[in-house]
Amino acid sequence: METPREITVLQAAIILISTIIGVGVLALPRIAVLSGDTGAPLVTLLGILLAFFGLVMITLLGMRFPNQSLIRYSEVILGKPMARFGSIVIIAFFAVLTALASREFGEVVITSVLRRTPLEITVIVMLLLAAITTRNDITTFAYIHHFYSPIILAPVILIVILSLKNAEVIRLLPIWGNEPNGMFIGVLTVAALFQGFFILTMIIPSMRRPDRAMTASIWGMTIAGGLYLIIVIASLAVFGAEEVKLLLWPTLELAKTTSLPANILERLDAAFLAVWVTAVFTTLFSSYFLMIHATTELFQLRNHRMFSLFFLPFVFIIAMVPDNVLQMYELIEIVGRFGLLITVVYPTILWVVALIRKKRGKNHATRTNR
Amino acid sequence: MQLARIVKVLCWVLLVIPLLTGCWDRLEIEERAVVLAIAIDEANPEAAEEENDVSHLRGEVPRSQKRMLRLTAQIAVPGRIPLGPAQGGGGSGEKPVWILDVVGHTVEDAIYNLQQEVADRLFLGHLRVIVVNERVARKGLQNMNDALRRNPEVRRAAWMVISKGEASEVVKLNPELERVPALYLLAVLDGAVKQGKMPNAFLGAFWSALTSKGQEAYLPYVEISKKRSILLSGLAYFRGDKLVGTTTPLEIGHFMAMKGINPGGYSALSDVPGQPGAVLFVSSDRTAKIDVNIKNGLPQVKAKVHIEGDLAEKSNAQFDLKDPKTITNIEKAMGTKAGKAFEELIHKTQKQGSDILGIGEIVRGKHSAYWNKSIQTKGKWQETYKEIPVKVDVTISIRRVGMKAQ
Amino acid sequence: MSFWKRKKNKNRSNKGSIGVPHQFLEKHKNEQITGNLEDTLAIIQKLLGASDDMVTRRFHVFKEYAAALVYCSSLVDHTLINMDVMKPLMSTPPKGGHWNENRLKEVIKDETLYHSDLRLEIDLAKIVHAIHCGETIIFIEGIKDAFVVGTRKIEKRAIDQPGTEQVIRGPREGFIEQIGTNLSLLRYRLQTADFRIKMMEVGRVTKSKVAICYIEGIANPKLVEEVKDRIGAIDMDVVLDVGYIEQFIEDNHLSPFPQIQNTERPDKTVAQLVEGRVAILADGSPFALIVPTVFHQFYQTPEDYAQRFLVASAIRIIRLISLFFSLITSSLYVAIISFNPELIPTQFAVAVAGGRAGVPFPAVVEVFVMEVSMEILREATVRLPQQVGGALSIVGVLVIGQAAVSAGFVSPITVVVIALTTIGSFATPAYNAAIALRLLRFPIIILAGIFGLYGVMVGIILIINHMLSLRSYGVPYMSPIVPGNYQGMKDIVIRAPLWWMKKRPASLHTANRERLGDDVMQKLKQPPSNTLDPVDVGNRKEDSPDGDTT
Repeated sequence: METPREITVLQAAIILISTIIGVGVLALPRIAVLSGDTGAPLVTLLGILLAFFGLVMITLLGMRFPNQSLIRYSEVILGKPMARFGSIVIIAFFAVLTALASREFGEVVITSVLRRTPLEITVIVMLLLAAITTRNDITTFAYIHHFYSPIILAPVILIVILSLKNAEVIRLLPIWGNEPNGMFIGVLTVAALFQGFFILTMIIPSMRRPDRAMTASIWGMTIAGGLYLIIVIASLAVFGAEEVKLLLWPTLELAKTTSLPANILERLDAAFLAVWVTAVFTTLFSSYFLMIHATTELFQLRNHRMFSLFFLPFVFIIAMVPDNVLQMYELIEIVGRFGLLITVVYPTILWVVALIRKKRGKNHATRTNR
Repeated sequence: MQLARIVKVLCWVLLVIPLLTGCWDRLEIEERAVVLAIAIDEANPEAAEEENDVSHLRGEVPRSQKRMLRLTAQIAVPGRIPLGPAQGGGGSGEKPVWILDVVGHTVEDAIYNLQQEVADRLFLGHLRVIVVNERVARKGLQNMNDALRRNPEVRRAAWMVISKGEASEVVKLNPELERVPALYLLAVLDGAVKQGKMPNAFLGAFWSALTSKGQEAYLPYVEISKKRSILLSGLAYFRGDKLVGTTTPLEIGHFMAMKGINPGGYSALSDVPGQPGAVLFVSSDRTAKIDVNIKNGLPQVKAKVHIEGDLAEKSNAQFDLKDPKTITNIEKAMGTKAGKAFEELIHKTQKQGSDILGIGEIVRGKHSAYWNKSIQTKGKWQETYKEIPVKVDVTISIRRVGMKAQ
Repeated sequence: MSFWKRKKNKNRSNKGSIGVPHQFLEKHKNEQITGNLEDTLAIIQKLLGASDDMVTRRFHVFKEYAAALVYCSSLVDHTLINMDVMKPLMSTPPKGGHWNENRLKEVIKDETLYHSDLRLEIDLAKIVHAIHCGETIIFIEGIKDAFVVGTRKIEKRAIDQPGTEQVIRGPREGFIEQIGTNLSLLRYRLQTADFRIKMMEVGRVTKSKVAICYIEGIANPKLVEEVKDRIGAIDMDVVLDVGYIEQFIEDNHLSPFPQIQNTERPDKTVAQLVEGRVAILADGSPFALIVPTVFHQFYQTPEDYAQRFLVASAIRIIRLISLFFSLITSSLYVAIISFNPELIPTQFAVAVAGGRAGVPFPAVVEVFVMEVSMEILREATVRLPQQVGGALSIVGVLVIGQAAVSAGFVSPITVVVIALTTIGSFATPAYNAAIALRLLRFPIIILAGIFGLYGVMVGIILIINHMLSLRSYGVPYMSPIVPGNYQGMKDIVIRAPLWWMKKRPASLHTANRERLGDDVMQKLKQPPSNTLDPVDVGNRKEDSPDGDTT
């Protein structure tokens, strides 16, 4: 698909950051602590590394085939039937991911802020917002992420800093955790939270300098991962491991415990949620966009707009599948772990096969660099 | 494409319809009954008669819930709490709050019974103080904590205090200094923290301590003094979710010293060695370090506390403070006394197995191998805590003596 | 943008296909006048006879040749005609004697008529058109051509402070309706040979003159081409104001945000031209259009640059804050009061509840009604004459607000919030952007009333997404924030000192990027020389060099 090459390295990194940071952050500390006790930061770190491995694979593939998205070059590497099958699985997976993310956010909003609003409305509003915005082209996509990223990063950092006055370092020890049983599963689940990085497959063909994609990946993952890590550390230090296990959304509780100095605003969680809408929006926007672009590429069409509203009902129906919050989290964990196969294992296979079969993409012709 | 356009229009219509059906969560601020404080007391089982069948049918109470609670709520009346300067005695002397009480089997049950009686929807977002009767606390706070945790409106920054007598009395008290009683109570607690008289033991901290394996929880302990004001009379310490003992006010100071919580706020009256008279020492800054070593399979605790402060008062003029040696003597004497007092406090808590200092957390964190092998659970630590030897060394530095030279 | 793709392919012919009055001249397109004075005058009067302000003055040239003067008395400068046309023609001829036709024509043209704007014309349609443009026509018996003298003079107002854009510090000149004067205001500020003006005629009936101004070597030539194309595609009968042109040449007609700036100030126009933009002026309108435009220009004033940078930065920050406030304050109020009162401190929450206790309506209805009333009030005060207007605004705001509160119709805090919002919206210098933001307030209030803070965020996200997808002649609307241009950022929130802003905005892709000389920074860094420092300069008092000053 002919997209103008406009996206800079900085924008690519920012797209990664704002896609990854989404609704998963709210439940993250609990997931990490459930599996690793006070070793939660360690679990998070390992999860980051695992996700980073997948990201590196994708970046390498993208740099090898700088003009094509994953859908295209997987056909070159594996041959049409297998690649088509893989692509369909990817599209389906991201449809489910979008649905579950919007559902999770809907649950958070319904439970803590808007208690009487029907869940369907909250979910539909988010999905519609994402769907309507997908009608723009990829440059606007980059602009949107670029614009919202400070709005996402600032409150998180602010809340972490403000909550530190209630933190106690002793709660972070011992580093390995007292009962490191389920750490491995925990690492997988945490890595699953980073799966937004897959958006890079659609971005690299539109980057001005695809050869510098690795820099973007490293920066993006460092900042997003770093943010996740400090949230886990802050929650652990303020609440303590056992307490975090009891909180459904520890990050939200962290916001609840903070108050601005001089008590200008108290109970900051409502404000935090409001700002968090942008983070969730960017994540949903990315995964929805990925889904639509992948479909457009698969069917080799030009215009992706017609799909944006078309997919909406399906995604919505999937979002309504779980019956309650607990079922939803179960489903998220299962789907997330399964997704690692797609986002980490599949690219690795692709890369290895590409190496073996010596497939390469055409280097992008000399373009006037601005 | 005609079809595409029809679909588009249909989508827009579908979009707008839910918006028109109404705003579900809109609840105007004046339509909410803002609950500022609640008090929980025990009620006689006969009080079950008084209850209306809101959450269950009469006679069909779940077997496990025979116990009855009385909940007293202080609700703010909109319009009677003016923000500006008081106009002529608070508007013809009407009370700015409305006090109601109901009974229920559990906390949430009681709240629903209350809602049945109140016109506006109860709003717990501004619930600042929860007063619990000592007797209820002795029986266990598990249920209450659960109810409060699940409710998203309750803020973790709220205060929970244990009252010596009837909790409802605390909530009904009408002190002169504030228009709204609950806000006065809040001011007492916040002020105490600011003045260094109490650690910041708000609800969230309470819960964190409660769930920690190596720490026990504590809450402020209040009583009504001569029916006109609220006295902060100590800390209530827990073992698990059951209250097992209380301290005296000065012991709060000891506790804060050992934890190194600043600012310092307690003052101690002390004899001057070799002089007839006493001085009043006011602490301003505390630092503490607790070291734990494992010896003979048991943790040994050595705490070093350093308190800085000023001399505020000399009890008589028969001696003077010109000599720096006098000061040093006072410091030494006070240090020894304080060390003994601190150890006393710890022994007191050890009797009940209530480790409010969090020594267990230090063991769990720094000596995790030992913890994983020998302790592992909260219950085991509560037992082990009773045995461990503790030594406290206190050093005191008197920095200033006020404006008077001698 | 689709409007443009379509318009470009359409044929720009058939100007007379909708039966507009100038078709009248089409009939006589290729006619010419003869040398016969009487015949010519008869034809002319038949064509012009309907209007009574057309004057025909017969006289004798050089005291012997019959001649006539035709002009439109409402458009000409009579003094000019008297002194520069009639006087030389009616005096004794130079060198006396008779000449033949050609020689007479030459004498008159080259030696007699003093006027600097003179041409010969034979085409009848052009002659009639010239009369309607305020030129005087001289017909002389025996000469086939007519002399066309430029004598146009139209009453115009004095150059005054522009009404809509007042500054404290800066020039007080504003454009007026006559394009000639406006172009002169621009020319004297840009006395460079690179400043180009291209004239076009737009509007079939009004035939307004439109000038496209740009600086060659700075403005991107493709931009100038695009502007010319778009204006050339306008095929309307009337263009009364440059705003008509604006609506045809903008990119997105549905967006509430303006993509073209308009200004009454020549200094602002010149500043934009130097940055690489193109200005469009139309005869009859005191506004100039500036393309392309991005969002951050809407809260900048030329005064920002005339002030020192700390002051200018502080004021700009205040403007930004007020812009933001005017958009979301009332919806935040609705959201917090109706959905999340736990956000405000307890005492305040209870007091607010008290203030609202007697009010019958929910907060969202109250705020909505008050906002609409404020808009009505504002619109009404624009139409009122000066004397009544001032009083009414004070009355409106204070008394009616106070009365409404006492009547229990609104709560006092609502009034405060609305007042803040309204005042905030006045701080945006650009009227069109201010209106856009004012109008956008309403959907956000409704969303806040339905979903609370969540709704406010959704509304803001929608607006921002829209702005991010908007383009003005290809330039992203949110430049330079979004494509992340560092040089451009120096002028967004703060106004960096003039010597920092070394390059022109990158988004305009100008041919020449440098603004500042190379060694300006160096010269600035040197410590100022204390010329009049009393110690250095030495003091003499009555011939004694002690340095004693009184």
